[in-house]
Amino acid sequence: MTNILLAILFLPILSAAAITLFTLRRPTVSAGISIGSSCLTFILSVLLYRGAVSQGLPLEISFTWLSVGALSVELGFLVDRLSLLMLLVVTGIGSLIHIYSRGYMQGDPSNSRYFSGLSIFMFSMTGIVLANNLLMIFFFWEMVGLSSYLLIGFWMSKPSAADAGKKAFLCNRIGDTGFLLGIIILWGTLGTLGFSQINSLLAANPAALGSWTTLVGLLLFCGVVGKSAQFPLHVWLPDAMEGPTPVSALIHAATMVAAGVYLLARAFSIFALPAAWPESLAWFNFSALEAVAFTGALTALLAALIAVQQNDIKRILAYSTLSQLGYMVMAVGIAYPVAGMYHLTTHAFFKALLFLGAGSVIVALHHEQNIWKMGGLLKRMPITFFTFLVGTLALCGVPPLSGFFSKDAIIAQAFSKSTCLGTISVGVAFLTTFYMGRLFFVAFMGKARSQSAEKSQETPPVMTYPLILLAIAAVFAGFWNVDTWMMRHYGLEPESAGWFAKLLYPFEHAPMAALVSLAAVVCGAVLAFKLYYNAKQDVLPSQLGSVARWLKDKFYLDELYENTLIWCQDKFALVCDKFDRWVIGGALVGTVYHGVDLVGRLWRLSQTGSVQTYAAIFVFGFVVLAYWVVNW
Amino acid sequence: MLLTTILLIPLLGALLVLTIPANFRVLHRGVAIFATGLSAILSLFLLFGFQTGVEGYQFVHKVAWVPSIGLNYHVGVDGINLGLVIMAAWVSFAAALVSYEIKKQDKLYYSLLLLMCGGVIGTFASLDIIFFYAMHELALIPTFIMIGVWGRGEKRVYAAFQMAIYLSIGAMIVLAGLICLYAGAGAKTFDMQELAAICAAEPMSLPLQKWAIPTLLLGFGILVGLVPFHTWAPLTYSSAPSAPAMIHAGVLKKFGLYGIIRLILPLMPQELHPWMEILVVMALVNAIYCGFIAIRQKCFAMMCSYSSLSHVGFIFLGIAVLNNLALTGAVFLMVAHGFLAALLFALNGWLHQQTGGTAMANMGGLMQKMPFIGFIMSATLLAGCGLPFFGNFVGEFLILFGAWQSAWHWPAALGVFTGLIISAVYMLRAIRQVLHGQSPAELSGVVDANAWRKLPYVLLIAGLLAIGTWPMLLTGKMKEAVSQTLEPVNSLTVQDQINTPSE
Repeated sequence: MTNILLAILFLPILSAAAITLFTLRRPTVSAGISIGSSCLTFILSVLLYRGAVSQGLPLEISFTWLSVGALSVELGFLVDRLSLLMLLVVTGIGSLIHIYSRGYMQGDPSNSRYFSGLSIFMFSMTGIVLANNLLMIFFFWEMVGLSSYLLIGFWMSKPSAADAGKKAFLCNRIGDTGFLLGIIILWGTLGTLGFSQINSLLAANPAALGSWTTLVGLLLFCGVVGKSAQFPLHVWLPDAMEGPTPVSALIHAATMVAAGVYLLARAFSIFALPAAWPESLAWFNFSALEAVAFTGALTALLAALIAVQQNDIKRILAYSTLSQLGYMVMAVGIAYPVAGMYHLTTHAFFKALLFLGAGSVIVALHHEQNIWKMGGLLKRMPITFFTFLVGTLALCGVPPLSGFFSKDAIIAQAFSKSTCLGTISVGVAFLTTFYMGRLFFVAFMGKARSQSAEKSQETPPVMTYPLILLAIAAVFAGFWNVDTWMMRHYGLEPESAGWFAKLLYPFEHAPMAALVSLAAVVCGAVLAFKLYYNAKQDVLPSQLGSVARWLKDKFYLDELYENTLIWCQDKFALVCDKFDRWVIGGALVGTVYHGVDLVGRLWRLSQTGSVQTYAAIFVFGFVVLAYWVVNW
Repeated sequence: MLLTTILLIPLLGALLVLTIPANFRVLHRGVAIFATGLSAILSLFLLFGFQTGVEGYQFVHKVAWVPSIGLNYHVGVDGINLGLVIMAAWVSFAAALVSYEIKKQDKLYYSLLLLMCGGVIGTFASLDIIFFYAMHELALIPTFIMIGVWGRGEKRVYAAFQMAIYLSIGAMIVLAGLICLYAGAGAKTFDMQELAAICAAEPMSLPLQKWAIPTLLLGFGILVGLVPFHTWAPLTYSSAPSAPAMIHAGVLKKFGLYGIIRLILPLMPQELHPWMEILVVMALVNAIYCGFIAIRQKCFAMMCSYSSLSHVGFIFLGIAVLNNLALTGAVFLMVAHGFLAALLFALNGWLHQQTGGTAMANMGGLMQKMPFIGFIMSATLLAGCGLPFFGNFVGEFLILFGAWQSAWHWPAALGVFTGLIISAVYMLRAIRQVLHGQSPAELSGVVDANAWRKLPYVLLIAGLLAIGTWPMLLTGKMKEAVSQTLEPVNSLTVQDQINTPSE
């Protein structure tokens, strides 16, 4: 078991090292190494799953990596239901995307660099998934940030791509500042960072964190906000679409951005503690979970609204990802991490599918990403068309596709907790169907809107097979008992049911929520059909006016940050720089320098070299001395 | 004897170079590379021969020199200077390797370089404060000449003089402090070990401590570049040739930090607290203020210098919070930062040779033009903003955890902010400007490092990666030395209940 775990973690980084050191000039070999290592980790993960289930969960193995005084950092593996589920999702979808990448990146001169980046990512992501302590998660958290940075800026000679990578890294770092501080405080108060120890300590004494409780939760949540691109740090994710499309699918849709949700589920016992603030901040009085729930809801709504007016196919999907991540975060926030992880899993399938489908279209149309230049793809690209349709339906939550079940679980729970959150989540479901309908009707249906769309052809099998496999998963993932699996993780006892009962369960369990969200889906679809089927152009800007402009320009948040935070940072740096140059380097050093210089010059004046002057000074001195002696 | 051999090889090499006629240019370079390389390889025997879990110094070599005043030649390593000596030897080797950029007066250059190498190794190996001080001066003087003769840019003579004046004043103040120590202990010994034993048995008089601590702090502070005595650093490093910049910024500058750890912490624990509280604030000023200045720099060398000052602030913080964890982190970061600074200035040298300047605005797209250098540069700059698995990250998080443990909450929070955000801002900005984007037409002729020229970069990055992925290599050996260093002040803290740890 230990060997399998070590192999799962280290195979990808070995393959990255091998590619970087030996096969940079051989793209085919590099792709082979990377794809091979990724598929092998998937197979090993399946073996691990079977082995671990038969041995009994959870399983914990750890090695000491660094131990100084009271701080001990472990390279530790925690295999339980949560990490197994995430591991299978990451390696399974990861492998498909590796294979697809071979087709997508065909002919790129930096193919090898691409695959080594993907392998670094797989290493970092499995590290997060398997970690048994927070500090190890933080290490790999930074490493996924690195791989994301490298891959977003993959086409680095393109200024927009290079800028987007930098922005993503910095936004993540802002979140990570809180995350690391939270870890430090947690360690300072509990004295341990292992999840099992934290859970047992908090179970024994929920007040163990004292007045730090809520602050620690919020600080750890900062990391989630950065990585899972929640409001207000969501701005990096849409820009991250500058990276190659398979990267967007793997890192910025299916897995890495979901790491935040995984962390919430993993450290749920910390977030779920009742509110406790330090005396001076007591008037805040909300709990960490409440903040999590509302942040998630706000992100879901904001992103869905923005998605309505975007025209770049990848950006629409990016905002959709933001919005779905908002759902997942909200699900944890309403104390139901089961639904969060459930939606994470189904979303990983259908969103990866949608991105890969979009990638297939983009390749076929020679890197055209504007949906208003696509259209008429049913006959020309049937596989992409139908798989994309499946993805769209799953995302919108049409029963019996997977998205329906997971989303319904969230909406039902939201209604039971708070009407406000329930209403927002239904509203987001409506918006989701509307913008996805818009995307689908404009980009795939109707007549071809450009020459490249007319000439497009289906992409090669290396790209379409992953689409088909993901489409199958997107359809059936609702019946794979992900929810019952996760319920058992959190110690809940699920009702056992056959597949038909499963289909009916949402309508029996919380019929209101299910029916309302279905109605929202229908409304969204009908509206999108009316407005966009065979439309020549977008009618919303003319009808909504400035509202549409605000949506299209993302509520001007980027501009707001540019003019406040970044401006302040820049001006503060300017002041420091000028102060250093003119006050310390100029005035202070100058005073000393010129002072010494001046004293020297003045003193030199006395050294005239003329005997008369010396004699005069001598006589003057003698007189002064004589006067002094006589008068005393 | 091993330590003596390691530090003597470069010094003997310097003499050997002087005896070789000036037109045998290959030989000068050959001797320098061979000598530094040999002492670097020998230094690894220190690492593997070091006995973990043993208190006191190892590989000790002691020869009485002037017994009447208690002056000995005395070298040895414990967990604190072990890493520094090894790092010094490897950075020296890398510095000798990058010196092919020197095109004139090789003979003088290589003999000075070897003096410098022997000097820095000797500084950290010495256990006698006079040797400790003299070895530092031995390394410092060649820097002055090298900047003046082989330096870059218009202002190199000014830079050389500025540095010389600043650092001489700093060293002079340190010397005054050292004499205070010698006189204060009143036992006619310059030996660090004996001084520590004497001070443990009978504390130095409090008024003396009140004066000696600030004197030494001021002197060491000037040598390290503590704000506001830091203005010599940026100009010096941007004017110096690669090798002296690497050795000075990477190794020699650690003299001041090492001096604080060795001479102030264990010898004068009674009056330490008020000064260390001031030092915490100054350390943060260094880290944050210099970090912000680095954001504004247009020249790569200047950015590296300010980033180096900012990192030094972190090390100061690790020392000043008086915590075992943080001190371990500080020593670790000294080693990691040695490799990092050496890499930065080696890369700066490459950029300067290829593009004829270091203004970042004139560069761009160099990743395509020089993939190897680009790769190393990305790795280095990312290591500098605290990427896990590179040495700096380990040092920084140990310092932060230690600061929090010693109930220094707000410095820990500010430290997290600096280490994660400010450093990332300037480092990524440099990557963006130098390596990404389109390369301007003037830079069509730049070339990548080939076979042998890659070696120094590979060695240094391997050093960073080795200690970053396997930190126990160093921290495991540091435990006894660190707790011994802080033992006097910690035992006071427990007795007097001045400060209760937050645990």
